[in-house]
Amino acid sequence: MPSVSFEHVRKAFGDATVVEDFDLTVADGELLVLVGGSGSGKSTILRMVAGLEEVTSGSIKIDDRDVTALPPRERDVAMVFQDYGLYPHMSVRENLSLGLRLRKIARQEIDRRVTWAAGMLGLAPLLDRKPKQLSGGQRQRVAMGRAMVREPKVFLFDEPLSNLDASLRAQMRIEIGGLQRRLNTTTIYVTHDQVEAMTLGDRIVVLADGRIQQIGRPIELYRAPINRFVAGFIGTPPMNFVDGGLREEDGEVFFRAEGMSIRVPHENAATSKAAESLTLGIRPEDLRLNASTTRAEGGPAGDAFTGRVVLVERLGGTSHVHFDVVGGSRMMASVLNDRLPDVGETISVGVPPDRVHLFAADGRSISNSASLPS
Amino acid sequence: MKRNLLARIALYAGLTIAALTFIYPFLWMASSTFKPPAEVGSLALIPHDITLDNYRTMWARAPFGRALVNSIFVATTITLSVLVFGSMTAYAMARLNFRGRPALNAATIAVLLIPGQLTLIPLYTLMVELGWVDSYTALIVPYLFNPTAILMLRQFFLQIPQSLIDSARMDGMSEPRILFTIFWPLSKPVLSIVAIFTFMGAWNEVLWPLLVVREQNLMTLPQLLTVFALGGGAGSVGVSLASAMVLVVPVVVAYAFLQRNFIESMAGSGIKG
Repeated sequence: MPSVSFEHVRKAFGDATVVEDFDLTVADGELLVLVGGSGSGKSTILRMVAGLEEVTSGSIKIDDRDVTALPPRERDVAMVFQDYGLYPHMSVRENLSLGLRLRKIARQEIDRRVTWAAGMLGLAPLLDRKPKQLSGGQRQRVAMGRAMVREPKVFLFDEPLSNLDASLRAQMRIEIGGLQRRLNTTTIYVTHDQVEAMTLGDRIVVLADGRIQQIGRPIELYRAPINRFVAGFIGTPPMNFVDGGLREEDGEVFFRAEGMSIRVPHENAATSKAAESLTLGIRPEDLRLNASTTRAEGGPAGDAFTGRVVLVERLGGTSHVHFDVVGGSRMMASVLNDRLPDVGETISVGVPPDRVHLFAADGRSISNSASLPS
Repeated sequence: MKRNLLARIALYAGLTIAALTFIYPFLWMASSTFKPPAEVGSLALIPHDITLDNYRTMWARAPFGRALVNSIFVATTITLSVLVFGSMTAYAMARLNFRGRPALNAATIAVLLIPGQLTLIPLYTLMVELGWVDSYTALIVPYLFNPTAILMLRQFFLQIPQSLIDSARMDGMSEPRILFTIFWPLSKPVLSIVAIFTFMGAWNEVLWPLLVVREQNLMTLPQLLTVFALGGGAGSVGVSLASAMVLVVPVVVAYAFLQRNFIESMAGSGIKG
């Protein structure tokens, strides 16, 4: 049974359309992540589910009940806000229980739920404190607890980790994921952070300018991005892009740009007649570096090109090697630390043909050469 | 070191003189109400012979007790109304989307620009037409809304994070409930300054009551005082001053209690989560 479904939802503020024809079904118990840059419409979509924002046209259903015109309190959803939205003048206990008291739920039941949520989130010793006396992570937990005690059909998270520092963010991310699996409540999670999206989401929806770019499992978006935007957005460090064109030689197809000629799988070329102007994408972790000066040593012709190292960022486990393609653009490779080149050194860069992505001039992917795991 | 000390002494001496020039007239007035007529002319702060005659005379000659009750009733009603209706208006202006909101904001500011004296005559005519002259209604109704209060509250309400309103709506609160159970507790500083200013304004108002109230039993304290002291009812300076004390003391007491809030709100305040 679908838990939340959007049917051609559109939202406009005056003349500006911020969400265009949003059509999607969220399965029962699923954790769906909406990810996109600022202005992509992701928070607006969430607020429309919550009832905090009116839907301009289209409809939203929760468990097959049309909620499009219902006020927030009648929708059976609970939301966690970026700045938590805790009432500063009330204790943690009051913050947790207020929504239940307003719904006239029996006192014993309220106590049971508050105790349950506080136990689950480690808030039991903090129940009598005011939000001001809590750390950022604790406030975040209270905000989650407030959503949990409502026992709603749907959880909505609006960038819940943005106000936390990096280490706490990683920890809370794990907690949210674990909590969602245990409660098995349908969840829509909005973030601009693609790491959060990749690690938390059962499925991810990538948004740009109010339109869905791609929907899929995290690994699908990573391996087979449908367009250049998704390719650049998903994955850290971001994908390298090189502008160039395709050419056929001796029955093989090559991607040619200034300073490089890369063999690409044949089927790609067949699908693309307009091969004059396109973009090659390759992830930094798919590039192979060899500290050699000649192409011959780097591998068979067409699988490598030459570059000059301009910067090496050592991150510990891996390092980022930035290099200029001779006569061409700047790229970056993510490599293990065992044999790092020096700045100024000339290197041979190997490109596995099955890891190459090609994008047409309009950004559409014309190859999904990277195969998906079954 | 020494120079520093001298500068400090000079500073404090200057401040002391300044403070005395402010407080001396008030203390003189207070002490003179306890002086017999022969002593009132002296500048001394401590009377030779302490007497309550001035107060007794005042109380006997005019219904000051009744005027005190009238003043408290009128000023309290006006203050409560300004707080309740003012914050409702301010909440709508600050946080709700509706057609005509910019026009309402502009109109509120425009009202501020019109001096009160300008509307005095039309307002009086209106009171006569409505048959409200010589009634509490005439004293209270024209003051139920106050644009300054609305703008101050609106400015404060604009700073309250949107997520609090969103949370409250998701928790199932109605808009009035959000205003009175979430916004009010967070807005104590601005509510108290609005309350103090409104109360003091209503308490000290003389001109309007003089226009619309002739009946002695409906007169507010400053009105009765004016009629009494200027009209020659007092008979002596001591009695005049005693009646002025009755007017001043409640305001001073209120200020003493609310001083902390008063200074806080003057210094401005924000909300930190």
